[in-house]
Amino acid sequence: MDKTGIKQSELHRDRWSSLDTQGGIVEVSERLGAAELEKIELFADYDRKFLDKISHDVSVATWEAGAVLFEQGTYIDLAFFVLSGEVEVWIEGGGEGGARPIFDLDRTQVAPVAPAERTGRDALGSTRLMKSATRVSDREITMLATMDFDLPREAGARLGPGEIFGEIGALSGWPQSVTARTASPCRLVQIRLPALRLMKRKSKALKERLDGLYRQRSLAAQLKNTPLFQACTDMFVEALKESVELVSLEPSEVLVREGETAGDLYVVRSGFVKLIQAFEQGEISVSYLSKGMTLGEVELMIDGIDGWQATAESVEYAELVRIPGETVRQMLESNPGLSEILWSSATERIREIGAARRHIPHSEFVQVALDNGLVQGSSILAIDLNRCTRCDDCVKACADTHGGRPRFVREGNRYQNLLIAKSCYHCRDPVCLVGCPTGAIHRAGVGEVVTIDEEICIGCSTCYRNCPYDAIVMWDTHEVWPADMVPQGLRGRERQAASKCDLCADTGHGPACVDNCPQGCPYRVASLEEFQALLDRRP
Amino acid sequence: MPMPTPKSPSLSTLPRINRWLLALVAATVLCLAVFAANNLLGDVRSGNAWGLSYGAAAAILVLISAAYGVRRRTMRLATRLGAGSARVWLPVHTLTGALFLLLVLMHSGFRLPEGWVTWGLWLLSFWTVASGLLGLALQRWIPRRLTSALTMEVHYDRIAELVEETRSRAEAVAGDCGETVRGFYERRLARGFGQPRWRWRFFLDAGGGVQNRLRELDFLARRLAPEERGRLEELRRLRVSKSEIDAHYTLQRALRLWLYLHLPASMVLLALLAVHLFTVFYY
Repeated sequence: MDKTGIKQSELHRDRWSSLDTQGGIVEVSERLGAAELEKIELFADYDRKFLDKISHDVSVATWEAGAVLFEQGTYIDLAFFVLSGEVEVWIEGGGEGGARPIFDLDRTQVAPVAPAERTGRDALGSTRLMKSATRVSDREITMLATMDFDLPREAGARLGPGEIFGEIGALSGWPQSVTARTASPCRLVQIRLPALRLMKRKSKALKERLDGLYRQRSLAAQLKNTPLFQACTDMFVEALKESVELVSLEPSEVLVREGETAGDLYVVRSGFVKLIQAFEQGEISVSYLSKGMTLGEVELMIDGIDGWQATAESVEYAELVRIPGETVRQMLESNPGLSEILWSSATERIREIGAARRHIPHSEFVQVALDNGLVQGSSILAIDLNRCTRCDDCVKACADTHGGRPRFVREGNRYQNLLIAKSCYHCRDPVCLVGCPTGAIHRAGVGEVVTIDEEICIGCSTCYRNCPYDAIVMWDTHEVWPADMVPQGLRGRERQAASKCDLCADTGHGPACVDNCPQGCPYRVASLEEFQALLDRRP
Repeated sequence: MPMPTPKSPSLSTLPRINRWLLALVAATVLCLAVFAANNLLGDVRSGNAWGLSYGAAAAILVLISAAYGVRRRTMRLATRLGAGSARVWLPVHTLTGALFLLLVLMHSGFRLPEGWVTWGLWLLSFWTVASGLLGLALQRWIPRRLTSALTMEVHYDRIAELVEETRSRAEAVAGDCGETVRGFYERRLARGFGQPRWRWRFFLDAGGGVQNRLRELDFLARRLAPEERGRLEELRRLRVSKSEIDAHYTLQRALRLWLYLHLPASMVLLALLAVHLFTVFYY
C-alpha cells in the first residue's frame, strides 16, 4: 500500500472508531479500496481516483436484526445504503405526527422525543444505558443514528437492497422524522457527510436520484408547511414539487450575481446566504437569508427591475429550492393572498438594502454577524466590556452552579465594546446534535435548550468537534468505564464527558452568569436586533 | 426646518446609575430636612432618643450594605434563594453605605466623637465610604479605558504566562536577526519584554505612549533590508502587545488592589460597631 493509502486507512480508522462503541453492530469494515467500492452500485459512476479520495469516509457495517439505526428527532451526519437485509422506518405516535415545517423562519420544528419518554426500547434488543424512566442498567447505552421521511403518523415503510436513506437529514442538518431499525441482519454502506457532498456534486445521476428521493419523501409536506405555500391547494403543491429545482451550495458559492437577469424565486431550505452589493470600489453585505426566507421577490414583483439587486453568496453549505418565475406567476394568479406575502418580503428587502447603504457600520455588523455565527444563536452571551471590571464573578457563578466546573470562558471574539464569550450560542439549528451516538446531547422539546445528559455521554467528542464556536468542552471525570460495560468498546477506557452551557436549565433559576454580575454587563442576546440595540446604547 | 426637540428622558429610560444617584440625593435631602426639623425641637446628641434613633438607623444601613459582601460570596445559594440580581445589590450597597455615613454624622449631631472606640468608628466610617466611592469611580472608569484604548483582551490570571510567551517569541525573532537589530533589541527592547510592569501612566493613557517610544525602531526599520525589516516589524508588534498586557496588568491590578483599601477597613468597622453596640446596651 502506498503512503496515501496508509494515510487514508488511518483516517478511516479514526473516522469510524466510535462505531466500536455502538450496540447492534456485528462488524465494521476496514477501509475499502476503490476497486471494492466500484463494485457497489452507488459508486459505479465514479472514477477510482475519486473513490480513493472519499474512501476514508465510507464504511460497510454489518448490523444484527432489531438494532436501532437512529431515532426520530435525532441528528446524524450519515447516509445509509442498503446492501443486504431490510430496514424498517416509522414515525412514532404522539403530537401531530407527520412531517413538520422545515421552512419555519424561527427554528427547526421537529420535536425530538425526550429520551426519558422514549418507549419500546426493550423490544429493540440492543443493550442500553438510558435515563431514569426506562433505564434498565447503568452499564448499558443505546446508540442512535438517523434520516428523513414523509410518512403518515404511525405508518411505517421497509427499505431493501439498493435503497438509500438518512441523506436528507444529513445534507440539511435536520433532525430525523422517523425511527429506523434493522428488520433483519443487514449490511449497510455508511457514508459520512463530506463524502456524500462530494459524491452529490460530482455525479449528476446521484444528484437527480437524491433530489428525486427528497421530492418523493419530504418536499410536498414541507412546502405545505411553508408560509408562502400555505394558501395553495394540495393539488397545486403536488404539481409544484415536480417543477422546482433543488440547489446545493458550497461555502462561499455564488448563487446569483448582482445585475444578471433575474426571474426565479429561491427559498432557503437550510444554511445562510448573504446578500452583497457593489459599493464604491468594493462591496458591502446588505442583508442575509436564513431558513424559510425567499430571494427574488423584489425582481419578480416590481416592474422595471429585471436584474438581481444583490449578489447572493452562501456562508456555509446551503440548500435551496428554485421555483421558476413562470410557476410563481401561476401561483400568484391562482392565489391572490400570495401576492401580499411576496410584496411584504420585497418591501422589507428594499428597506434593508437602503439602510445598509446609508449606514455603512450596519453593513460591517451584518458581515461580523455572519462570520461569527451570531445569526445562528438564540441566546448568545455578550459581555459589555465598557462596564466589565474583569472580576470573573460570571465564571465563578457558573462554576458554583455546575459542581465547580464553569461551562464557559470569558474569552472570545470582540466586536466594538462587546465580547462574544465562548459559551453555547444555543443555535437555532444546532450542529452539535449531529452524530451523537447515544443521544446524550439532546433537545428536550421544540425550542427547548440543548443539554447534555452526562450519565449517557460516552465522551466521544463528536459534539465538541462539531461545534463551530468552541463552546463545548471535554472534561476528564477521573473515572474508568466498568469492565462489564456495554457497549464493550468502552470497557476500561478513561471516562470523559462533554459539557456546555444549558442556561442553568433544571436549576430553577435563570443563567447564573447574568444574575451574579454586579455590574450588569453580561447579556443573553436572542437576535441581531438585540445586538444592535446593545451596540447603540451609550456607555 | 426646525431642529427636533430632544425628549426629556423618563425615569425608566434614565441610566440605572442615574436613578440610584437620584435616590441617594433624595434620601440625603430628606435626612437633612428631618435633622434640621429635629434640631429645632431639641438638641441631637448621640446619647439621647433622637441620636440613638439615627444611630440605630445607621447600624441597620451598614448591615444591609455589608450583606452585599455575603451575597457575592454565596452566589449559588443567593441565586437559588432568589435573593435578587447582583446588579441591584451593588447600587443598594453603595446607597446604603453612603447614607450610613450621613446617619453616623447625624447620630453624633455633627460633633466630633469622644473616646477611642467612637473615634475609631468615625474614622473607619469615613475611610470605608471614601474607599467605596473610589472603588465605584474606578469600576466606572477603568473598564472604559481598557476597552477603548486597547485591542487585546487579557485574563488577569494569565498575564504572567502571556508575558513569558511574548518574551520568548521576541527572543526567538531577535535571535534570527542580524547584529544591528539584535543589538538594538538587547539595548532598547529586551528590558520591556521582562516582567509585567505597573506604570501610573496607563491610568491617563492606556496606550502608554508606546507608539511614541517606538519611533527609533521605525527610524531603524527604514534603513534595513526588507527581510530584516519584516523581523523588526514582528518585534514591534510584540512590543505593542507587551505594552497592552502591561496596561491590563496595571489597570486590572488597580481594580483588585482597591479591595484591600475597602474590605479590611469595613471588617474592622463592623467589629468596632459590634463593640460599640455592646457597650451602649450593656452599660
